Amino acid sequence: MDVTLGIDVGMDQHEPRRVVEVFERFATANGISDLVVQRFCLALDEILTNVISYGFEKVPGKPRIRVDFGLGDGLLEVRIEDNGRSFNPLADAPLPDFTLPVDERPIGGLGIHLAKNLVHDISYRRDKKRNCLTLTQPL
Amino acid sequence: MIAAVSGRVDSVNATSFEQELSKAMEGGSSRLVVDCGELSYISSAGLRILLLAVKKTRAQGGGVALCQVQDHVREVLEVSGFTRIMTVRDTVEQAIDSF
Repeated sequence: MDVTLGIDVGMDQHEPRRVVEVFERFATANGISDLVVQRFCLALDEILTNVISYGFEKVPGKPRIRVDFGLGDGLLEVRIEDNGRSFNPLADAPLPDFTLPVDERPIGGLGIHLAKNLVHDISYRRDKKRNCLTLTQPL
Repeated sequence: MIAAVSGRVDSVNATSFEQELSKAMEGGSSRLVVDCGELSYISSAGLRILLLAVKKTRAQGGGVALCQVQDHVREVLEVSGFTRIMTVRDTVEQAIDSF
């Protein structure tokens, strides 16, 4: 990666917005298209909100969340790592059922679905008791 | 009833969005038009509030219609399946006429 930027994320519900704003500045300064910026912002927001809200329930130790942005070799990459409970959003998050009538639709559960569907590629691995999600977009 | 929403709606301010929409619906009208012309960003926290509004208005025989939706927000609505449960029109007048 030619250009990288990393930030530590705190356990506060305002943090996703701060990270999204840092990403917006990083991506815009490096000429990423508005469409990709918007999609990645939403995915980052949803994933971080989820990690902060649910990722550390009953998990001992100090929570650590780290986000790294990278750009190079024709690729935009965003990596999100946390030491919370093991959670693979690609496999463990329930799929929303859009055929349900309005009054039966559950409130919530759309965040991970949005992230998965708006970003070109997302991969997950569990490594050294950390969840590692990598979002990539060819440029 | 017509409500306008602007800027960003995410988990930080979704609660105040919910309060504003509730206020707009207090008058008893079950038909709610939301002007999204100045709405630049919505996350699932905001969608949750829209879904609640749809449930509430539909239960009273009405519904929710959105208008002037920016491209990115429209994409989010489509991916979330929301365009199936609420009307999306170009202009405020068209949204009002959709009821």
